[in-house]
Amino acid sequence: MTVSTIADVEFGAELEPFEPDTSLNATSTFADAVGWGLGGRFRNHEAAKKEGLPGALVPGIMAMGFLTSMIHRWSPAARVEYVDTVFRAPMIADEPLTISAVVTDVDEESGMVQLDLTVKNAANETRVFGTANVRLPTA
Amino acid sequence: MQADIEEMKSKYLNLEFDRKDFVLDPERVVTVARMSGEILPQFCDTGHPDFQASPAFIASLSAGRHLPIDFPKLGGIPMDGGKAVTCLRPVRTGEPLTGRTHLHDIYDKSGRSGRMIFLVSRMEIFDSRGEQVAISDSRMVVRERSS
Repeated sequence: MTVSTIADVEFGAELEPFEPDTSLNATSTFADAVGWGLGGRFRNHEAAKKEGLPGALVPGIMAMGFLTSMIHRWSPAARVEYVDTVFRAPMIADEPLTISAVVTDVDEESGMVQLDLTVKNAANETRVFGTANVRLPTA
Repeated sequence: MQADIEEMKSKYLNLEFDRKDFVLDPERVVTVARMSGEILPQFCDTGHPDFQASPAFIASLSAGRHLPIDFPKLGGIPMDGGKAVTCLRPVRTGEPLTGRTHLHDIYDKSGRSGRMIFLVSRMEIFDSRGEQVAISDSRMVVRERSS
């Protein structure tokens, strides 16, 4: 269901996730675009291991991007006013991630929605968590 | 000797230590949005009348330096503990922006492996008219080295 106004939002609702692209091509393209493309950290597993990392990484802020994209897919009318992401542990490129968000507060008068956000790896371990405050039209 | 958090707060909080100018490249903004799975045209289409940078792109803007020049060395290797973005107005591409950075918070947490010190560096971003468009917080974590 597309969420158009605050009246469409249910407390406790889970947003429909999508499958984020964690391929090396995606992580390196993202890193290049934000100016972090030097070195192998986001583009090459072997080069990243030489830096002492478990493999090439998904940039932490890319997880923020996945989460805000999920919010916009849930409601194209939503404006993300605040998003906070805690980078708890590395996310490895080429490994699947599961993103989720749940509605934890709804203020029908102001149109504000609070969401709890999580990114987990294939072992169901939390890699990133956070919150977002999102404003929706009131009518 | 452990670093004195209260002393560091009194000495360093809320004092601007970096100012940096940016002009966002629209193609890079689109790339970041698309690689993030974004589908809304205001983030993916440079021709959209409300085209703007996504929160993740705003979070990528970094100051010229991470900490005040005379900030004490805490011993451990700093790790990126997270980012937060407050979107006040749409952040546009192709126009001058200025990021003014200060230390917003310093706090610690202790566990079995010792004490971790959290440094929250806040960049306030202004457009060419001097209006604040966004706030980007970077959370640095340092595992204090015992002496």
